[in-house]
Amino acid sequence: MNIISKIKNSILDSIFNLFGKEREDIGVHMKFSVITLISYRNIAANKIRSFLTIGGVGIGIGIITFLISLGFGIQEMVIREITKNNPSNVIEVSNGSLENLITLNDETIDKIKNIEGVTRVERAVNIGVKFYSSDTKIDSVLYGYTRGYMEMANIRIKEGRTDFGDTEEKIFVTPKLAQLMGFSNPSDIIGKTVQYEVIISEDIVDKSNIENNREKEDIEIAGLINDDSNKNNSLFAVTMYDHLKEDFHLIGGQAGKVEVNIQADTNSVRSRIEQSGFSTESISDTVQDVNAFFNVIKIVMVVFGTIIMSISAMGMLNTLSVSLLQRTREVGILKALGAKRADVFKMFIFEAAIISFSGGILGFGLGYGAARGANLLFNYFAQKRGEDIVSFISVPFYFVIAIIAFVAFLGFATGIMPARRASKTHALDALRYE
Amino acid sequence: MGEVKIKVENIKKSFKVGENVIPVLFGIDFEIMRGEFCLLIGPSGCGKSTLLHSIYGLEPPTEGKIIIDGKDIWNYSKDWRAHFRNKNVGFIPQQAFWIKSLSVIENIAIPGVIAGASFHESIPKAAKLIELVGMSKWANHRPYDLSGGQQQRIALARSLLLDPQLIIADEPTGNLDHKAGEELMKLIEDINKQFGLTVVMVTHNPSQYCFGTRIINMEDGKIISNEVQERSKVITEKNEHNI
Repeated sequence: MNIISKIKNSILDSIFNLFGKEREDIGVHMKFSVITLISYRNIAANKIRSFLTIGGVGIGIGIITFLISLGFGIQEMVIREITKNNPSNVIEVSNGSLENLITLNDETIDKIKNIEGVTRVERAVNIGVKFYSSDTKIDSVLYGYTRGYMEMANIRIKEGRTDFGDTEEKIFVTPKLAQLMGFSNPSDIIGKTVQYEVIISEDIVDKSNIENNREKEDIEIAGLINDDSNKNNSLFAVTMYDHLKEDFHLIGGQAGKVEVNIQADTNSVRSRIEQSGFSTESISDTVQDVNAFFNVIKIVMVVFGTIIMSISAMGMLNTLSVSLLQRTREVGILKALGAKRADVFKMFIFEAAIISFSGGILGFGLGYGAARGANLLFNYFAQKRGEDIVSFISVPFYFVIAIIAFVAFLGFATGIMPARRASKTHALDALRYE
Repeated sequence: MGEVKIKVENIKKSFKVGENVIPVLFGIDFEIMRGEFCLLIGPSGCGKSTLLHSIYGLEPPTEGKIIIDGKDIWNYSKDWRAHFRNKNVGFIPQQAFWIKSLSVIENIAIPGVIAGASFHESIPKAAKLIELVGMSKWANHRPYDLSGGQQQRIALARSLLLDPQLIIADEPTGNLDHKAGEELMKLIEDINKQFGLTVVMVTHNPSQYCFGTRIINMEDGKIISNEVQERSKVITEKNEHNI
């Protein structure tokens, strides 16, 4: 008898003595290890039946694990791709509607910077451009970015140099644009000079210094823009915002990125910016849409899983009921030899728990393994086709906890009825059972 | 005069079958002394097994008291009686029942594990008892692989695991052939003599009456005779009879 039992008994004895009564000595209960061993032996003694029952639970849990791993994994992959270049604390600002065109000029930028929680504001402009190379004229878009904007938007230079002043006449082009300009090897364009001509909207230039439709000018190609995400098929060029500002008297940009600190209320900042006439977007809008979509998928999976698990549970209940019928005399002799109701109850509940946990572990392993296998197979073919490898399998920690809780519930729910029946069976009735 | 082990006071028992109440025992009174080998005899349906089950604490009497070692066992809870049976009484049923998934030696150890011990702690004692009943080589077999006589020997070993002072046996030889029955009876007698255990046994086999030191004869739910006989005298008579 352990110390806790001794303390418990002495407390109970004292209480009974207080009322002048003698406490009944009902001995101790069977050891947990013994009950577990007997339950395990019974499962092992009926190999085929136990295998089929555990297999049924395992298949159910396995299918749920497989679907959930895929569901969560694909959701995470999509969100990861969306947020890769767009951190959630960055607000996209654009210049409103056509009826209410407003530019991100120095004044509006200062106003935004003064909003509580805003840590940085960077702007961008896009203008029409024509490039002239040999006899070719190529219409394209020229983006003017601040270096801060490039950093926030994760716009990377593939090749070339960036160590020049922001007002210098240098430009980056996409590999495709370089090829159209006659450089079959895009890298060869770096350091070369091409002619260009810009077309700028009046709304974003200083009208007092208006110099639209200027002559063609020469500009040096400083490098190539990384365009891997579009498989190098884009046609655009990038230069520094200050270069365009100085050369073409820009007064503002059409787009911007506003960074807010993590603690700040992004929605409140957005609303303040929108009050100035700008439109705003945040990646959290997209993430919310994606999450809403996947939530519907998850509900469908839960319904599907519930149906599968109901079938498994019925199989388990059937097995345990048959097991009770087959072991009625065992229950009888155990009770005749002094086993208490609680011990018999535990024996059947543990048997249900062993079946359910074995099925749970087996199913989780198989389901997760199958999902990982599918991911490996997908990546094998992706690599063969020159695509990047991706991970679209994920099992959240709370799902593992939910599975453990579920198998515990399954064991208890299916075991309780046979266990209660066994514990209530009268020893003599059980011994006389044919 | 010896110490009273079991006192049965005015035991009445009736069963309710549908609307009908069927009386089985009509006021039974007797005492069994410590160390006695008591046989409950009588024709089938006379109520001996019902009385035995009441003494064992499995069948509640409708009226009366069963006092074992000074305790009125039907005055306590079910769990108390379960613990009392486990700790103080060895039981040999008419047909031995087993935990199928356990080996012979593990089945002998069952009363120990019910009492809160582990198999590891109970098996050494079980090994000594299986040797006592001469079944050591069957220790690791499944119980249902054994013959009826062998199973009853194992049941005897199981009943002795927790050193009880009382053995209750319900026609333990009922399903055995004459030879196996005789061997089991001799074994029970040896244990009764060697360890001074009190034995209460139901039988309706007249050839076994010679083993008892007290014969309680029942008919129609009543005791018609309660006689004490000297074992040595009985055995001598039996031997003479055999000659």
